[in-house]
Amino acid sequence: MAMASSEKAAPAGASWLSAVLRALGRSWAFILFFVGFFLFWEYAIDIFSIPAYILPRPSEIVTRGWADIDRLLYYTYVTAVESLLGYLVAIAIAVPLGLAIAFSSFLRRTIYPFFVSLEMTPKIAFAPLFISWLGFGLLPKVIIVFLVCFFPVVLNAILAFGSLNEELTRFIRATGASPWRAFFKVRLPAALPQCFVGFKYAAINATVGATIAEFIGSDQGLGFYIQIVTGNMRPDLAFAGIFLLTLLGLALFGAVTLVERWVIPWHISQRRTH
Amino acid sequence: MTAAAIDIRSATKTYASGTEAVHAFGPSSLTIAPGEFISLLGPSGCGKSTLMLMIAGLLDCTSGEIELGGHVVKEPQTSIGIMFQDNTLVPWRTVRGNIELQIELRGLPSADYRATVDRLISTVKLDDFADRYPYELSGGMQQRAAFCQTLVHRPDVLLLDEPLGKLDAMTRESIRRDLQSLWLEDRPTVVFVTHSIEEAIQLSTRVCVISPRPGRIEKVIDIDLPWPRDLAAKRSEKFSAYAAEIEEIFHGYGVL
Repeated sequence: MAMASSEKAAPAGASWLSAVLRALGRSWAFILFFVGFFLFWEYAIDIFSIPAYILPRPSEIVTRGWADIDRLLYYTYVTAVESLLGYLVAIAIAVPLGLAIAFSSFLRRTIYPFFVSLEMTPKIAFAPLFISWLGFGLLPKVIIVFLVCFFPVVLNAILAFGSLNEELTRFIRATGASPWRAFFKVRLPAALPQCFVGFKYAAINATVGATIAEFIGSDQGLGFYIQIVTGNMRPDLAFAGIFLLTLLGLALFGAVTLVERWVIPWHISQRRTH
Repeated sequence: MTAAAIDIRSATKTYASGTEAVHAFGPSSLTIAPGEFISLLGPSGCGKSTLMLMIAGLLDCTSGEIELGGHVVKEPQTSIGIMFQDNTLVPWRTVRGNIELQIELRGLPSADYRATVDRLISTVKLDDFADRYPYELSGGMQQRAAFCQTLVHRPDVLLLDEPLGKLDAMTRESIRRDLQSLWLEDRPTVVFVTHSIEEAIQLSTRVCVISPRPGRIEKVIDIDLPWPRDLAAKRSEKFSAYAAEIEEIFHGYGVL
């Protein structure tokens, strides 16, 4: 009967070192695969005699990339700012709008179908237009990142705020709670898990949007860098840029995941399984 | 004679209209006195939950009317306590937090209810679990917590919609006993929706037998058994006679 009480917390004396070791122990298969993948890559170049201007070795990517690290880091910063700004503006606008659409039947009949059709449009197709309208600066990139982040957030927010289960809705009505009180005590927390689905989706899109915007027209950023070095037959540096873009994407996604764990520790997706 | 706690007058409920119309309940009438424990007993889909929601003002009557505490029900009734089929525990609050949610949503001062919350938690034997989250509890514990949530604002009318429906037989028996002692102590008016004949007889002052769709209160049976009704009472001849009488009725409908 006392099922819950039999759960033991981790031993209090566990140091961070043993925590790291345990994490390593859990993910050894992944680490092995990861290392194996790059080893295979390193030696496959010799085995299949692939020229360096087609595909560089991982070791070359690291050493040549390191030689150009200042520029790479600055461009990572540029792309990060574009991604983060577009992402945050998208959330700041999409969540309240999603909320409004979920609660207004008028908006649900007008804007909502419009958004659903726009969701089918590849937002990236607008990128050249924004560049031509607004030039090479930061603003068109932020707008393009905004576009690729906005739709997953708004559609998930509509779903989140519009799908409180029937019994909780009745429960709220039976308490006579004011709309505000009901919103902050029940509707908002209940909607958060679904909102985070959109936030995570958008986090993945953000760096994609920034990179493509830079491809199309810019004079800095990792997307710009990758295009230039590829034109100069330097795939090693292009891979270094791709590697940093991956890190940037992981950092953004990881940050959202951390916030999620902090905001909705109670949700089923956040519970630790022992 | 005091006024009726709940007075149902030829209430009906029809969903949608025209050729699509589904006649879900009624017309039926029933007068419930304060302090009664009434069971609405019937097969699944007979409209007993519909009737409960109409009493609560969460669904409108299509025709007829329902009076609660001397007033015709026209909007959601906030003076009562309702327990739904699926419990309304929220996953982001502990057992205590969920019970307090009822208080907070009503805008009542939580501090004034601390003692009531503690007492309820120990009545349903959840003392060791007050700070646990719903997912850490068994189904039976969750229902006990939900029951506290329903009672914490001290309503004198309780509407319970199959609160034990999803529990195993042993847990049901033990919660039933708790429910009975709580009722005997405070004597609220209870409308209890169930499809268990045994449960209805054990708990109720009167059992309303509801026919299959469209649901109607076909027969109201006074249960004249001494309180508290424990296992011995359930083995009595009289208890079996009531069960047989009700089974006969459902057999007549082709339900049993």
